[in-house]
Amino acid sequence: MSTTVFPAGADDVADAIGTRRELVRDSARRSLARRRYWGRFAIALCVVAVAVSLAPLVALVAYTTSRGIRAVSWSFLTHAPTPPGIPGGGISNAIVGSLIIVGLAVAMAVPVGTMCALFLVERRGRLAGALRFAADVLTGVPSIALGIFAYAVLIGPGSLIGHFSGLAGSFALAVLMLPIVIRASESAMRSVPRDLWEAGLALGVRRSRVVRSVVLRGALPGLVTGNLLAVARAVGETAPLFVTILGASLVVTNPLQPMNALPYTIYSLATQPTSAAQQIAWGTAFVLLVLVLALSVVARFVSARLNRQAR
Amino acid sequence: MSTTLLEEVPPPRLTPVEGVKQGLQRRQARPGGRSYAVLRWTGAMIFAAIVLAFVISLLASSSQAFAHSGVSFFWSGTYSATKDIYPTGIFIVGTLITTAVAIILAVPIGVGTAAFLSEFAPKWLASPLSVLIDLIAAVPSIVVGLWGLLVLSPVFAHQVEPFFKKIPVLEWFFHGPAYGPSMLLAGTVLAVMILPTIVALSRTALTSVANEDREAARALGATRWQVVRTAVVPGARTGIEASVILAMGRALGETIAVAMVIGNNYALPHSLLSPGATLGSAIINNFGEANPGLDKSSVIGLVVVLLVITALVNIGGQLLLRRRLRAEGAVA
Repeated sequence: MSTTVFPAGADDVADAIGTRRELVRDSARRSLARRRYWGRFAIALCVVAVAVSLAPLVALVAYTTSRGIRAVSWSFLTHAPTPPGIPGGGISNAIVGSLIIVGLAVAMAVPVGTMCALFLVERRGRLAGALRFAADVLTGVPSIALGIFAYAVLIGPGSLIGHFSGLAGSFALAVLMLPIVIRASESAMRSVPRDLWEAGLALGVRRSRVVRSVVLRGALPGLVTGNLLAVARAVGETAPLFVTILGASLVVTNPLQPMNALPYTIYSLATQPTSAAQQIAWGTAFVLLVLVLALSVVARFVSARLNRQAR
Repeated sequence: MSTTLLEEVPPPRLTPVEGVKQGLQRRQARPGGRSYAVLRWTGAMIFAAIVLAFVISLLASSSQAFAHSGVSFFWSGTYSATKDIYPTGIFIVGTLITTAVAIILAVPIGVGTAAFLSEFAPKWLASPLSVLIDLIAAVPSIVVGLWGLLVLSPVFAHQVEPFFKKIPVLEWFFHGPAYGPSMLLAGTVLAVMILPTIVALSRTALTSVANEDREAARALGATRWQVVRTAVVPGARTGIEASVILAMGRALGETIAVAMVIGNNYALPHSLLSPGATLGSAIINNFGEANPGLDKSSVIGLVVVLLVITALVNIGGQLLLRRRLRAEGAVA
């Protein structure tokens, strides 16, 4: 009555199920083989991509290092360049110039950028949104445009200084650094938990004091990292300096005078055909490379420590 | 009696609430009490002033050229009746070609590298390689330009460019004498420059895809590559596109490194091997010698053209990303 009755030809059905199962298994096996094959192919392509991308990058750094190390010596770092044709001479003018120009740029960009970041953290509204947008747009502006801006404001006819100078280069680099400093500082300050702000304010502490002792202190590693990365970017920039500082073959310490800088030296020597000039260019490039890499390593180290503390 | 007693008790000077209130008022009235607000506003105002001054000064100092040539400055750039020194159209073509070469070379390689580092490489290999590439991203463009000029250029002149000329189909792109400095070399140098940026940002986008997505795809029977193709890359697509747009902006705006390797020839390029010029290289090469007046104003006009192009790319990219984000939000 209620016993399961197989229809006539049950064996046929079981056979059909069996063959169907075989079929599915077969095609799955074949599909898997095919998918594995393409997967291996794609991964191999990725490995090739790694090799292709690492080759020029590593070659670039290795070549600069091997050529540069031969040029660099103590007197190379501490002597001003000699006139063409006379052996010896160094790049002290460019080192001093770069330090002063970038130092002044930091002195301009970091306070203004930090204050502006505080504004962005504290206020929401149309003005803050517009400033944030302006900072984002300014980050993408080609650096030569900032150099031309400094030229128009400080050097060109009817401007504030009226002649080429290291200060104009600093101004251009400061404008270059400003949006980076603003956005990095803002995100560092936002990462300080809102509870800490509120706890400080609830204690009746004045807002400026909360910002100084809680927010700036809490955001300090982030601020340092962001600023160091901005400095590393500014040290290597050539285009803004090319139209503002004019170059100098002596050590100049007055920023109102034309100065020299490391990237500027590289550019002016690289285009000269003599191997002596190229040798100095490689040496300068090596010094610049070491400087920039040291800055980014320190920045990385600071942010790594920040992450460890956060955990 | 009772009245005298009441009079003897001194009335409470202040309730606690009033005391705090007065203290606050005293603090705020003190000179310097509002200095923090003043500080914030000063920073914001200085930055706003700089941005405004940037726009106004560039427009003002290029106005002479635009007044002279009108909108035609954007292609012919003619600024004097006798000579046509700033052929803007040629510079724009050069800028677009070198950027295209750089993007075509760097994007597949960069994204492939990022995919390997984020998905396939064992951890002992992935983390040092990632750090290495992040560090190389900081190498100044002038160093890349120097390397391109002194090392890559001879290699291109003697090996790479003659090799491309022999390939039958590509012949059309690569013909003419192989000098070394060329559109191809400039594009390659730009590619080396933007490669670390693309790798670093795409890798971040890929690693930030949720592990659940990977596991879900794996549980459905996807192979490792299928996991990446169907689950990880779609999730990271917005970030990868953002990295490409950023890299494109850098390639468009690069001046010095390009000026060193492009050969600075002011003619419409007929092949990738022919030397050419970009907006950036033309600005660098002409700004120093330009005479004050219309001449200088024309060079600054080139800067304005460059800014317009980079702004178009950036805004287009932003719109694309925003639309994509909205679409993703609608799906989710």
